[in-house]
Amino acid sequence: MDGKNYSIKNFLLTRINRKLTFLFIIVAIVAPMVGIYYFYIISVHAIPDYLSDVQAPMLKTVAVMIIILIAVDAGIIGFFVSRSISKPIRELYNATRKVEMGNYDVRLNIKTQDEIEELAEAFNRTTASLGKLEAERKEIDNAKTEFLSITSHELRSPMTPMKAQLQMLEEEYFGKLQKKQKESVKIIIRNADRLDNIIVDFLEISRIEAARLKFNFEKTDLTQTIMDIVKFMEGFAKEKNIQLIVNISKLPIIEVDPDRVSQVLRNIINNAIKFSEENSKIEIAAELKKDYILCSVKDYGCGLASENQIRIFEPFYQVESTSRRRHGGTGLGLAICRGIVESQNGKIWVESKPGQGCIFYFTVPLIPVRNIKPIKMLFSPKDVIEKKIIEEFKTILGPLGVVEFDELKSKNALGKDDIYGYIDSLTEQYILTPESGVDFKCRIGEIFGDEKDVINTKEDTLHDNVGDEGLK
Amino acid sequence: MAKTILVVDDEPDIRQSVKTILELNGYKVFTAIDGDDCLKKVYNVHPDLILLDIMMPGTPVDEVVKQIKDIKIAFMSVVRISDARKRGLCTQDNIVDFFQKPFNVSDLIDRVELILNE
Repeated sequence: MDGKNYSIKNFLLTRINRKLTFLFIIVAIVAPMVGIYYFYIISVHAIPDYLSDVQAPMLKTVAVMIIILIAVDAGIIGFFVSRSISKPIRELYNATRKVEMGNYDVRLNIKTQDEIEELAEAFNRTTASLGKLEAERKEIDNAKTEFLSITSHELRSPMTPMKAQLQMLEEEYFGKLQKKQKESVKIIIRNADRLDNIIVDFLEISRIEAARLKFNFEKTDLTQTIMDIVKFMEGFAKEKNIQLIVNISKLPIIEVDPDRVSQVLRNIINNAIKFSEENSKIEIAAELKKDYILCSVKDYGCGLASENQIRIFEPFYQVESTSRRRHGGTGLGLAICRGIVESQNGKIWVESKPGQGCIFYFTVPLIPVRNIKPIKMLFSPKDVIEKKIIEEFKTILGPLGVVEFDELKSKNALGKDDIYGYIDSLTEQYILTPESGVDFKCRIGEIFGDEKDVINTKEDTLHDNVGDEGLK
Repeated sequence: MAKTILVVDDEPDIRQSVKTILELNGYKVFTAIDGDDCLKKVYNVHPDLILLDIMMPGTPVDEVVKQIKDIKIAFMSVVRISDARKRGLCTQDNIVDFFQKPFNVSDLIDRVELILNE
């Protein structure tokens, strides 16, 4: 019985109730109109003769009063009805915004007993399953970092006895070696060293990902740090007769981990030496900016195409597949640099034109960041960039943008210049107006020069970024 | 008389390797498999130097070194010296060196010789 009562009550109070209210509103609008119509007829033509001069205005007044009352009534009912609909919808909207921000604990408690309540329940279920997925994703992510860290440690421990025994063999602890044996041992040692370097870099990556990178901050004169590292690298540069030129403006003493700065600088200079021709030069500079120190390393090597300029900071990314064999290295150096620099809220980027060499920049903040945040290393920035590009395509070209994007992607034509060419073709075919073409290019340019913009904006040198190319 | 060295490491291959290197360079070498074993043997063999791994099962290494004050100790570890310092492992006066694993054989010999000739 109770259940039945409840359902009847619900039935009366809710679903039908709202629909009835709509009916009332319609009646409340129609009724005054009918009233006005009759009032009009009465006041103009049909005042019967038997009504006195007093009665006729009274009749008019009553009619007016009725109309006003009904109108007020309709207004009040309308207000409450619209509020009863808009309030839960606003709640839903706010909750959706929270989910968008990554808060999956949002739950709605809407008891309107109608479609909106059903929608809210569906929202709750969806958010709950999203939250579960997010928790799972985090777990997998942690497991990946943990796995990387453990395997790297486990891989490293056999290296110690292995290298020790190999060196003993090489140093003829166990008797003289023939020429062939010596060669063989040398090759094994070289590759054991290479393997060990990869493992060390892996460990570093796992530390960066897990925010376990160690920084030992101390008051440092970076000028000295840079000079030391340049002196150290000069030995390697001499092999190719490359000149290292240092140009440091006066730097303040700051609190920083000098070993980490050296590590980044060593990696970048090492790269510059690798990709420089013989008898060329490399310029190393550092200057004080507003709240950071900007270091740069300029080489006159082969340079980089624009699509490679971001990707070189991805783990294992090599511009040509053959270059690793030619130039050696683990392919993790620049990724580790990015991890170290970004752990300190700094930026690292490269400016280059093919054939004209590269300038690598990185920033060292004046105030050290003690609370290290995890940095995603194994998620490539390429994905992030593609996501940004597809968003721009959608905004400018609508749903068609996704199709166009996929087509460009399949042609591997998502470099800055490729997209610029594509936009030009759109303007030529009058698919885009010249203005929106320029706007489109500016936005794409911003995506590619994103990091550069942030810093240049601080220096008020806006005119020379976002690509002069984009504005031509 | 040949100087005596106690090598403490839980990995048999590392113990074996270090023992061979040192013996071939004229040292008398004893080995221990962990911190407890090290404490057991240390006052029987009276080594001139203990080469001690940092990460071993059993009694933590910082407890072990606290009980050995009169014998030179050099750490051998895969962790970096900065991490070891952070754990407060390098404060005692008798801790004389830190060998980063994987170590270089000739470097190990040179530094051990230096330590024992002081």
